[in-house]
Amino acid sequence: MSYIEIQKLSYSYNEKTNVLDDINIDIEKGEWIAVLGHNGSGKSTLAKTLVGLLEPKTGDITIDGITLGEETAYEIRKKIGIVFQNPDNQFVGVTVKDDIAFGMENLCVPREEMLEKINFYAKKVNMLDFLDKEPATLSGGQKQRVAIAGILAMQSDIIIFDEATSMLDPYSKEELIQYIKTLHKDGLTIIMITHDINEALLADRILVMNKGKVFAFQETEKIMKDKETFTSSNLELPVALELANSLAQDDKFKEIRDKLWEYALTK
Amino acid sequence: MGIRFNQVSHGYTSFADGLYTAIKDISFEISDKNEFIALVGHTGSGKSTLAKHMNALIFPTSGTLEIFGKTITSKRDKKIKYNDIRKKVGLVFQFPEYQLFEETVEKDIMFGPMNFKISKEEAKALAKESLNLVGLDDSYLTRNPYNLSGGEKKRVSIAGILAMNPDILVLDEPTSGLDPAGRRVLMDLFKDIHDKTKKSVIIITHDMDLVYQYFNRVLVMNEGHLIFDGDPEKLFREKDLFKNHLDYPNTIKVLDYLNKSLGINLDIYKRTIEEALLEIKGAEKL
Amino acid sequence: MKSVIIGQYIPGKGLFYKLDPRTKIIAVFLLMVSVFLFERIEQLLIALGVATLLLLVGKINIIRVIKGLKPIMILLIFTFIFQIMLNKQGQKVVEHDMYFTLFTLLFLVIAFILWRVMVKITKFRFTFFFLFVISIYLTLRYVDYGQTIIQPFNFAIYEDGITMSIFVVIRLLIIITLSTVLTLTTKPTDLTQGLEKLMHPLKKIGFDSESFALIISISLRYIPTIFDEANKIMMAQASRGADFSEGKLKDKLRQVISLLVPMFIIAFIRSEELANAMESRNFVPGEPRTRIHELTMSYRDTLATLFSFSVLILSIVLKVI
Ligand SMILES: Nc1ncnc2c1ncn2[C@@H]1O[C@H](COP(=O)(O)OP(=O)(O)OP(=O)(O)O)[C@@H](O)[C@H]1O
Ligand SMILES: Nc1ncnc2c1ncn2[C@@H]1O[C@H](COP(=O)(O)OP(=O)(O)OP(=O)(O)O)[C@@H](O)[C@H]1O
Ligand SMILES: [Mg+2]
Ligand SMILES: [Mg+2]
Repeated sequence: MSYIEIQKLSYSYNEKTNVLDDINIDIEKGEWIAVLGHNGSGKSTLAKTLVGLLEPKTGDITIDGITLGEETAYEIRKKIGIVFQNPDNQFVGVTVKDDIAFGMENLCVPREEMLEKINFYAKKVNMLDFLDKEPATLSGGQKQRVAIAGILAMQSDIIIFDEATSMLDPYSKEELIQYIKTLHKDGLTIIMITHDINEALLADRILVMNKGKVFAFQETEKIMKDKETFTSSNLELPVALELANSLAQDDKFKEIRDKLWEYALTK
Repeated sequence: MGIRFNQVSHGYTSFADGLYTAIKDISFEISDKNEFIALVGHTGSGKSTLAKHMNALIFPTSGTLEIFGKTITSKRDKKIKYNDIRKKVGLVFQFPEYQLFEETVEKDIMFGPMNFKISKEEAKALAKESLNLVGLDDSYLTRNPYNLSGGEKKRVSIAGILAMNPDILVLDEPTSGLDPAGRRVLMDLFKDIHDKTKKSVIIITHDMDLVYQYFNRVLVMNEGHLIFDGDPEKLFREKDLFKNHLDYPNTIKVLDYLNKSLGINLDIYKRTIEEALLEIKGAEKL
Repeated sequence: MKSVIIGQYIPGKGLFYKLDPRTKIIAVFLLMVSVFLFERIEQLLIALGVATLLLLVGKINIIRVIKGLKPIMILLIFTFIFQIMLNKQGQKVVEHDMYFTLFTLLFLVIAFILWRVMVKITKFRFTFFFLFVISIYLTLRYVDYGQTIIQPFNFAIYEDGITMSIFVVIRLLIIITLSTVLTLTTKPTDLTQGLEKLMHPLKKIGFDSESFALIISISLRYIPTIFDEANKIMMAQASRGADFSEGKLKDKLRQVISLLVPMFIIAFIRSEELANAMESRNFVPGEPRTRIHELTMSYRDTLATLFSFSVLILSIVLKVI
């Protein structure tokens, strides 16, 4: 039995068209999954069904042996945190500090520990100077950072990032990714929805959504070899692989090709 | 002349934490024609604040700003028709949620044009046209903008400004949240508008690949200061961009990696994949 | 908008900031009750003096409080006028006829226009409002020539009317000042937590104090948000050529309406999103939670409570004798 099991999952907002259509996926504990797909392909909807905010039309979701339902939703949410696509939708607290604390308060983290963690995670996302600000007065990227800190501080077993870094500058993004990598090493299961192919390359497996269906779900290295999957789903390959593919016909570029692959998969 | 900043600073005041100066002593000029400018800088560096000045949505707290000959100061001037400025300079907000407010996508896109005395039929036609331009089909016209996916909202918010047909377009992170194909389509669209009409376009982005490929002028903000104004290539030839929280475009990074790991000597300053490819193929023959 | 400080928290130092929110809530409650028990105007004046003294001791910027009172000045003035007109006991102080003629109308229109113009060009909005009210009175009283529109009517002010109206206004002033001090020096989060703690004993009789506190804290959290939301929509409209402050009155009205509808819809969507956000971060109504803000009492709290209790006792004693 897998850690996260999604079986025959369908969802529809208006009863007419299925926004999620017969999704079947298994995710193992400690895996890093990247989710790619065109705008409106159902990525955010999938994320919301996973945390029980939307009730599936058909199908089952099982996480760590617990099948998601009305009664078990609370139980499951203790294991899984989600950073929403629009950080504004996430703010509950009056100040940055209160907001980071909110999830921990619900988990009954003792106050002393909470204060420590707030400082720790605010520092991780570079928002230490902004603890007393109101969320409404932050810049776009700062809002995203606070949203991320609030979820990281809850130390869930699984975290879903829904385009959580889309407005960060390259440097902050890199810093954050480095930190997420260390969390992953320590066993965090990650589901990262993104349009940034370079970010997706860090995943163990990539899930490509297309019009509400699973278009492909494979190991990162494997899926990168399949240009078709990418072009037919509004996606692009990373620059290095695009170059490698264009050099594919000629044997004399073999060395360069290998290096390009090495770059894509390690950088 | 289009927009000129004269030593503009902007401080936000709030009860909670007093004064916070978001942009400091900014001076530069944007011509009303032929400009295609990227605005980059770290998170919180003041890009959005700067952009909101460009159509007088917020006023400088010190310094002045000229927009199409009108002088904007820290006070509202009764003689200035701000609505005219907003018609001339269209601004797409960073968060589409801040821009969408009507019940249907069609009404929302029509809102801008309708304020400028055109008939309902014309506005409807415009709405449809702009919606198609940003890659959404007619079925979205009747949808509620709040029930769209993130990327779809972004597209609708862009369509709402395009429909106003402004003389200068300012777009705050228009490509964040778009899928790669959409990003390409919209960047080509902006470039196309610019090429055909010579209108000036200013785009805020964190995507260095786009900066390198599309733009001929880049402004860099850092902690509220404008620290660079010039050719992107010049910027990317600088060392240690990371200290300004920027990065190099992927083509440069990849070619540089090839040079270092294979001990070859490619010219790394290639804007596009095609150019990079030619460089690799050419170099290998040597 | 920014001068409205009622209900606003402003960070600062000083005595009142150091008090526990529970103390402040109890003290404000006790003092308000005492204010209602006072029966003589002298007592109230002393109370007003003491309230001002408290502001000074607490290093609260009095000018700021007065500025914050401005928006409700109009309310105070109306209360004042109503009290004067309605109370018909005691000795008559003034009595005379009032006239309403064509000329009265003319004068009133002129006064109105003058008032609006002065408000626009000078900063003393309030002074001119005051002058406007007085000029209405003077016109009604002295302008008696010209064609009568309404039959002359008798107007009288009684001694009790005056004392009562002053009394009521001062009482209102004290109450507003007290509650302003409370909200000015207490973070909304502390305020709700204080309320929650105070109402905790009520749990025994089935009152869900936590949910109540939550409702209050969400409202507090959402008042600025709703302003923000309105602000955002106005910005969105302005940036698309519909600036509120430009255009004719008719256009403005249309725009107000175009603001209201989306505000309701967006507020509705927001509330749903907020509920989602809270749920997804493990919030379960009624379940125990820890708190980042901790309440602690000190000797100051004891003193403050003692003080307000003695004021209450004093007021009771005064009432009885
Ligand atoms: N609240 C809603 N009511 C009705 N339809 C909705 C709602 N939210 C989303 N949809 C529709 O469901 C589809 C999937 O939306 P979803 O938000 O899951 O897409 P996504 O893959 O996250 O896209 P993006 O990359 O743009 O964020 C879209 O076509 C969208 O229009
Ligand atoms: N309304 C406000 N009140 C107080 N401070 C504000 C307000 N809006 C922005 N700021 C502050 O001003 C600074 C600049 O904000 P701005 O939104 O211009 O940044 P930005 O460059 O657009 O960043 P990002 O890339 O994250 O969107 C930030 O530090 C932010 O916290
Ligand atoms: Mg989404
Ligand atoms: Mg911004």
